[in-house]
Amino acid sequence: MLPILSLIVLIPILFSAVTFFTKTKEQARISALVGTLITLVLTMYMYFSFDSTSAAMQFEEAANWIPSLGITYHLGVDGVSMPLILLNAIVIPLLIIYTWNDVRAAPNRFYALILAMQGAVIGVFISLDFFLFYVFWELTLVPLFFMVNIWGGAKKKHAAIKFFIYTHVASLVMLLGIFGLYYNAWSLNGVPNMDMAYLIGQFQFLESEIARDAIFLALLFGFIVKTPVVPFHSWLPDAYSEAPTAGSVLFILLKIGGYGLFRVMLPMLPFTATPSLMITIMGALGAISIIYGAFLALAQKDLKRMIAYSSISHMGYVTLGAAGLVSLSISGAMFQQFSHGLIMSIMFMSCGVIQTKTGTSIINNLGGLAQKMPKLTVIMVLGFMASLGLPGLTGFIAEFLVLTFSFINVPIYVMIALLAIVITAAYHLWALQRAMFGPFNEKLGDIVDISSFQTFSMGIIALLVLYFGLNPSPVLDMMITNSEHIVSLMAVMGV
Amino acid sequence: MVDLMLLAPEITILVTGLIVLLAGLFLSAQSKKILGYIATLGCLVAMLLTISSFGTTAVMFSNSLSIDALSQFFKIVFLTVTTLVCIASVKYTDGNDHADEYYVLVLFATIGMMMVASANDLMVLFVAFELASLATYALAGFEKKNPASIEASMKYFIIGSLSAALLLLGIGYVYGATGTTNIEGIAQNIDLLLNSPMGILSLVLLIAGFGFKIALVPFHMWAPDTYQGAPSLVSALLAAGSKKMGIIAAFKVFIGALIALQADWQIAFAILAVLTMTYGNIVALSQTSVKRMLAYSSLAQAGYITMAFVVMTPMALTGGILYALSHGFMKAGAFIATAAVVYMVTSENKDILNADHLDNFKGLGRRMPITALSMTVFVFALSGIPPTAGYMSKFILFSSTIQSGLVWLAVIAILNSALSLYYYARVVRYMYAKPTDGDRVSEPLPYVVALLLAVAGVLVIGIWPEPFVNMAMEAASVLI
Repeated sequence: MLPILSLIVLIPILFSAVTFFTKTKEQARISALVGTLITLVLTMYMYFSFDSTSAAMQFEEAANWIPSLGITYHLGVDGVSMPLILLNAIVIPLLIIYTWNDVRAAPNRFYALILAMQGAVIGVFISLDFFLFYVFWELTLVPLFFMVNIWGGAKKKHAAIKFFIYTHVASLVMLLGIFGLYYNAWSLNGVPNMDMAYLIGQFQFLESEIARDAIFLALLFGFIVKTPVVPFHSWLPDAYSEAPTAGSVLFILLKIGGYGLFRVMLPMLPFTATPSLMITIMGALGAISIIYGAFLALAQKDLKRMIAYSSISHMGYVTLGAAGLVSLSISGAMFQQFSHGLIMSIMFMSCGVIQTKTGTSIINNLGGLAQKMPKLTVIMVLGFMASLGLPGLTGFIAEFLVLTFSFINVPIYVMIALLAIVITAAYHLWALQRAMFGPFNEKLGDIVDISSFQTFSMGIIALLVLYFGLNPSPVLDMMITNSEHIVSLMAVMGV
Repeated sequence: MVDLMLLAPEITILVTGLIVLLAGLFLSAQSKKILGYIATLGCLVAMLLTISSFGTTAVMFSNSLSIDALSQFFKIVFLTVTTLVCIASVKYTDGNDHADEYYVLVLFATIGMMMVASANDLMVLFVAFELASLATYALAGFEKKNPASIEASMKYFIIGSLSAALLLLGIGYVYGATGTTNIEGIAQNIDLLLNSPMGILSLVLLIAGFGFKIALVPFHMWAPDTYQGAPSLVSALLAAGSKKMGIIAAFKVFIGALIALQADWQIAFAILAVLTMTYGNIVALSQTSVKRMLAYSSLAQAGYITMAFVVMTPMALTGGILYALSHGFMKAGAFIATAAVVYMVTSENKDILNADHLDNFKGLGRRMPITALSMTVFVFALSGIPPTAGYMSKFILFSSTIQSGLVWLAVIAILNSALSLYYYARVVRYMYAKPTDGDRVSEPLPYVVALLLAVAGVLVIGIWPEPFVNMAMEAASVLI
């Protein structure tokens, strides 16, 4: 049997090294594309042989790594991680095609970083050992730090260092929580073991109530800073808007915070000393993020910053859905992660095109671009409509599931979140109207439409948004299977 | 005769040192290059001998030397650092008429450190400590025409002598009370020191004495000036090697001999550890001289290692000991990379001051790609980003504080670790994101070899730590 999970991490990292040492732009982008396409093929193979009716880990691989500390090389994939791996494997080759003709400094490093990022992110999704998980988790920081720092915008220095330190602190706090789990299990059973499922399972036997809550909150902090959730979001607008387009898309594909909520936090939640408080924290933060992100998006003058804040708002649905604690609200939250990755990729790619063609992303300096860029307009409008939740596209399904089914357990927060729907529609439509429609702003000079490479990659993502919007079951089924499993684990404790 | 075989690493280094010393008399300045190769070879042989005898236990010379996993482990640390420094020095001393003195001093300092590692008697420990110190005083002033180097050497010498006097006085009190200088003997007669003012007095003096060498705040004043002024490769030896000598000596004296006074010294080390790591990291933030920044960062790292004294579990000691090895690779590597930059800058402009200024690192990613990439690995390792040796060591050390319930210490250490990321990342940003008008320069081979070896060490310990963790565990089990 092919060690397929190791391969989908190793191939991007290997090709990252190869790409780094290429001499010309031509070699760099071809090497990068080949690497990501191989990963895509392997992922598709895995996806089609994946059993979406089983909540168990599939394609598992396990080997001893550091036996003296109980650390193993343990990989596996289930319905929580499979869609996210699929998302990464599909979008990253398209991202490389999208940047095909962009003239940039040092293309070899640029593509090497994209590939390294892909390897690290997929690594987070498939690690079933906390040590390995943390290694990949931290590794995702480094490519993004360089990406923003080297190819970023005017305030790149500030944005890069803020992102790096802010999320690093959060990771370290999470690491303290992992230490807590690790030593709890060690002192209970006398052997060190870093296996995720095992440590989460041993959490309930920890005697001290304060320690249980502290560990839970430490881990939660690590995850919600990455998600991000208001009020721990302030690194995001800077990082997203200063990053180059490819960097912003990589940030969008970095769904590890939300993933951590499903993989780690939910199974632990019933065993904290005060589960209802934890649900309140998650639900309230989710609802606040939704409404706060939406209001700030409305106030932005810069298109890219508007998209960044809209991302905060949309990620609020993930936290809210997780706090909903019903299998369909959790599935909705998982589906929101998947859908958000696709939709935001379109939005950032559109914004990137506008920025390079017109030299600005200030909304008021644009205007009437639809006349000059019809192809872009079609795709961009579809992306914006999906983002504001038009039925028939993926965003609607995710938000519908989250709002409907979270109402069962956390109705108040759903009511708060509902207020944001109008604002969400408003800022999307208003931005589109000002930037794309109306009379053409003659100051912008001569503008040509997007290249065929860009049309291809954005078009494919747009088609996927449409496809999964009409027929979500190829990914939603496995999410439901696994969220039912998570809920059944929690039901054991009667929460 | 079996006994002497266990001393083979020390003997090898001694013989190599003598060969270098004699050969230096007859060689011309140009052909002294070969001495660097001889010294490197000697270190490598000594390292192989140490590794092959790892795990053997013996005491020799009337119980004044003990060979065990702990001493062997630290010998490996010292030999690693010396090997890296010797390799890189081949270029640094190229054409220098005093190259023979340089290598002799480096090798003798290494013997001193190795003897400290296996000392089982406070007098042996002190003499070996002084051997290493005297050799490094001279090394710090090796660039005789450079005022900064002379200043570094003077400061180091004066403060070092003072600390040696304090140390000796501390040893004197311990001897006066217990009637022996043997480490196990002291541990047996420790009740004579317990609850007596003499015990406290000797602890204060010993902590001060070792604190100078480890550069714990507030005994650190010499370190930034010395590390900055001394030749970069000597700073590598000081920060990565000689500092560890202070740590192994403190391990032996405090944990080996004075364990019964644990309650007293543990609180002192807790305060010193917190002070040192916080002060080191905060001051490092504003440095523009890379060597000075590395000096403060090495204060911070010493602060982390000192946590092992506070936690005092087998896990914590394993972490501290593994950290010593990792730090050897990371810090020596970072100083060697700085040395390569200084070499490049001074070969472009002979009279330049501040050759290690951060501005000279601008665009290094394009000018010296291998040096820049290695430096990136080292600084990320120092800040504890996986999968590097620095992360692995921090993982064990910091997690042990949680294990023993010292959550406050873990939180302080982790906040410090996050803080340090700022100044480490700044170096990386200068190397990769700042434009420069300098051209690509060819990187001298000796530096490249030393850097790549250090990178390999950092990554191997980070990715496949099992053998190293096991060795460190075995070494820790000697103490507890």
